Amino acid sequence: MILNDEAIAKIKERVGLYPQSKSAILPALTIAYHQVGYLNDKVYKDIADIIKVPCVEIAEAATFYTMFPKEPVGKYLIQVCHNISCALLGADSLISYLEQKLEIKKGETTRDNLFTLVTVECLGSCATAPMMQINQDYYENLTREKVDKIIEELRAKA
Amino acid sequence: MADKQNPETGGQATVTLTIDGLTVTVPRGYTVLEAARSIGINIPTFCWHPKLKPVGACRICYVEIEKFPKLQVSCATVAMDGMVVHTNTDQVKNGRRAVLEFILLNHPLDCPTCDKGGECDLQNLTFAHGLDDSRFAFQKYRFVDDDMTTTFDDKRIGPEIILNRNRCILCYKCVRANKEAFGEYDLGAYERGNITEINAAPGRQVANPFSGNLVEICPVGALTNTDWRYKIRVWLTKTTPSICNFSSSGTNILFYKEDHKNKIYRVTSRRNDDIDDGWLADITRYSYQVITSDERLIKPLIKKEGKQVPATWEEALEVIKKRLNEIKDKKGGVCIGGLASPSLDNASLYSFAKFLRRTFNSNKLDYRQDYRMLPKDTANNYSILASQPFKIAGIDDSDVIVTFATDLLREHQNEYLRVRKAFNFKKARIFVANPYAVKTADVAELEMVYKVGTDEIFINAVCLAALEENLVACPDRADLKKKIKPSSLKDAAEQCGVAPETIKIMARALAEGKKVTFIAGELLTRCRDREIIASALCNLNRLFGLNRKGQIAVLARYANSMGAVKLGISPEPVPALKKELEKIWSGLPDTEAYNTDTMLVHMKKEEINGFIIMGANPVMLYPDREFVKESLEKLDFLVVCDLYETETTALADVVLPLAGWAEYAGDYINLEGCRQHAEQALKPRFEAYPGYEILEMIADKFEKKLFSSTEERESEIDRLLKVDTTLPWPDGFVEVKTAEIEIEKDYPLALFLCDDPHHCGHLTEKANSLVNFCGEAYIEMAEEQARAYNLNEGDSVRLESPIGKIIVPLKISEHLDNQVVLVPRNFTSHPVTSLLMRKRRIDWVRISKVAE
Repeated sequence: MILNDEAIAKIKERVGLYPQSKSAILPALTIAYHQVGYLNDKVYKDIADIIKVPCVEIAEAATFYTMFPKEPVGKYLIQVCHNISCALLGADSLISYLEQKLEIKKGETTRDNLFTLVTVECLGSCATAPMMQINQDYYENLTREKVDKIIEELRAKA
Repeated sequence: MADKQNPETGGQATVTLTIDGLTVTVPRGYTVLEAARSIGINIPTFCWHPKLKPVGACRICYVEIEKFPKLQVSCATVAMDGMVVHTNTDQVKNGRRAVLEFILLNHPLDCPTCDKGGECDLQNLTFAHGLDDSRFAFQKYRFVDDDMTTTFDDKRIGPEIILNRNRCILCYKCVRANKEAFGEYDLGAYERGNITEINAAPGRQVANPFSGNLVEICPVGALTNTDWRYKIRVWLTKTTPSICNFSSSGTNILFYKEDHKNKIYRVTSRRNDDIDDGWLADITRYSYQVITSDERLIKPLIKKEGKQVPATWEEALEVIKKRLNEIKDKKGGVCIGGLASPSLDNASLYSFAKFLRRTFNSNKLDYRQDYRMLPKDTANNYSILASQPFKIAGIDDSDVIVTFATDLLREHQNEYLRVRKAFNFKKARIFVANPYAVKTADVAELEMVYKVGTDEIFINAVCLAALEENLVACPDRADLKKKIKPSSLKDAAEQCGVAPETIKIMARALAEGKKVTFIAGELLTRCRDREIIASALCNLNRLFGLNRKGQIAVLARYANSMGAVKLGISPEPVPALKKELEKIWSGLPDTEAYNTDTMLVHMKKEEINGFIIMGANPVMLYPDREFVKESLEKLDFLVVCDLYETETTALADVVLPLAGWAEYAGDYINLEGCRQHAEQALKPRFEAYPGYEILEMIADKFEKKLFSSTEERESEIDRLLKVDTTLPWPDGFVEVKTAEIEIEKDYPLALFLCDDPHHCGHLTEKANSLVNFCGEAYIEMAEEQARAYNLNEGDSVRLESPIGKIIVPLKISEHLDNQVVLVPRNFTSHPVTSLLMRKRRIDWVRISKVAE
């Protein structure tokens, strides 16, 4: 098993909350993602064994949701919105600035395994565009200066 | 479509609507699409399938319904009273055209190299709607795998299935059928949007026993069969309607063939809702290769100085005449017996019986080649149970279904799907009782795995539960209690190892069920003590009145088992049948009747000296291989007719090449007694002849013509088939004897012989496609069991019984969870019948790891 005892216990607890164990697929995937950092076939198999749902159903759900990374990512997963509101307010130039700053292309991870940069569809924060999500936190009304500061802080924390 | 009747909505049972100006009345619950099709209005579909729940994924079935603001998908819109539907207006046409344009955005348009070309829904619809250009100016999305060297994304996702994701239009029909109808989870739809793809489940292959259907229902060329790919274009083939020879349901099929090459290319379904619902098991789909294989017997063989050498038919027939006449003159005709395969057609089976009975005055004939110690006459409860009427479609609307002593997926795949369907569409309550866990239990409310050898005690326990809980009105309950042992539910439940509470739930369901289907299968038929178990079932039937409010039956196993019974191929036919035979032949032989088992015993004693086997392979299939071999070797003269050289033909003095079922026209009677006709698809290959012609030729040599004409033969068969062979239930409850179960010290595991889900009997090993699914025998056991012996998947296991041993690779079961092992009997390389003792109820074995 890739999942640790804590994750397994949490998943089992969630299964009991739904009339059908199938409903626990998404919570289980989220718990697994928080532990492992990404999802792959082995994780699906583990979840399938725990919640007793065919493995293929788990893989189908997991691949449908782009929010779950399917391969290892850096410590900080930077997800920049490139949908309409953010794009109008300069998301594209922000993305290329990040690429330049981190010396990676979008979809890649820095060599020190700290940052992974990806673009995503709307995160529902159009009022504060342009914006990005790093791990579980939103960073809004972005400018180049703000981005510099955020990256520095994260580097320092790591 | 009748699946959707019986609305629970109440009120009127029908609705009336207008479609394209025609008024139509349909049962409530019908969709607009079904209503339209019922009056012959065609609405195109991709994702709709008559036997699956609608999803509305493809949108091609758009129709205009008055008072609805937008176009509606007819496959998912329920027909309502007073609806006015138009299926052919400009708006509808434009809607469909737009849908097609979207579907074609990423479609590769590789029709010239696509095997679906000519029978492709997408091709036909695109042509019909005149779309000859695309407004999509960008690069099409292309699936190309890392390991692909070509631009064709052809990927093998199963032993016989190639997937091309670029051609896929995402109707999800394959995924839905796989999950919904077959209960298999080896195929899925992943990702979303532009890059959505169908693919095998992580780390798995699409190798389920129904996988061929996925290709058949694919509306485009995304899924193709390896047997059909790049071989031929569909418009160059002709089709012949036929019947499956490897299932007792008689699934309806179509052969696709080319006459001048005398070759079959594939098999598809010929949907018959009363029998198969349009689904084919892979055995049915690929078993045509048994006929087209080049390993077939080419010429007759005659044994000369201990070696079989090729000969002409004339030579072979002369030898048969000479040797059988010698035996007849020296010892009398009664020393000649025969065994015919229950997969042969009516004409062959009937000719076989008539030849033996009339020419040699012998009653020594049987059609059962794999069941130990069968009764020779029909005065017993087992025969009563086996003769009961049964309807396959009757499973559909049953509210309680019990499968007892049967592994449906390995024995009756068509009925397996029906049980699943009853669960999916009618929420039927399914109960599964078997000495080991089976896949049918996926849909079961309760699965009861009773202890090995306690079949009758389990049934008694169900009866006792009904009495103790007062579930049924039973005036002679004291009588029943006297006749079964033990006399309390508690004791019975303990003996069979099932919780009394569980048994009570099942008893309550049987009592409350409005229509109950009770299916028993091979584990009952093959059991030495079948009579004891059948007696228990007779009591169960009487107590719950099952046959009055549903059906109870032991399912026949082979394509024409029922035909064999109805035409009197058994040693002692049913009395009514005997009377008719006496009339037709003006007299019946009065000599002693032997069944397969007694025939083999008497061969060993040299009291049967001549023997004819047609299409059967008892050496491979009858319990205790050594015994069968020794018996057959003692014969003075043995004739064997088969498609291939087998373990049995190796012992023969004369071997005759037999034609396969696709090579002649014939009638077969399926397990529900329905007579079906299979047309001739091929000319017999090499020098093979159909069974009835071989018998005719032999009979001619004896100067005793079997029939004056084909018409005479057919009219005799017709007369016999009109006889009702249903036996009456016993009056009152019957005594259930206590069985003696031998325990073998040091042999702790019970061995059950089975068929692999991709094989049936001794011939399917010759079909390459089926071998691709499963080409080698295995021993299947519970994971816990394997761990106890320190065994891993694939390890070589030595399997020993008191009389023999074989070495087979291990397969860890997904279902088994008790001390039981399964071994398929279909593989020549692993003679598992050599482990079985002829007179045992349970075959005890032990296993050990083979050192590397």
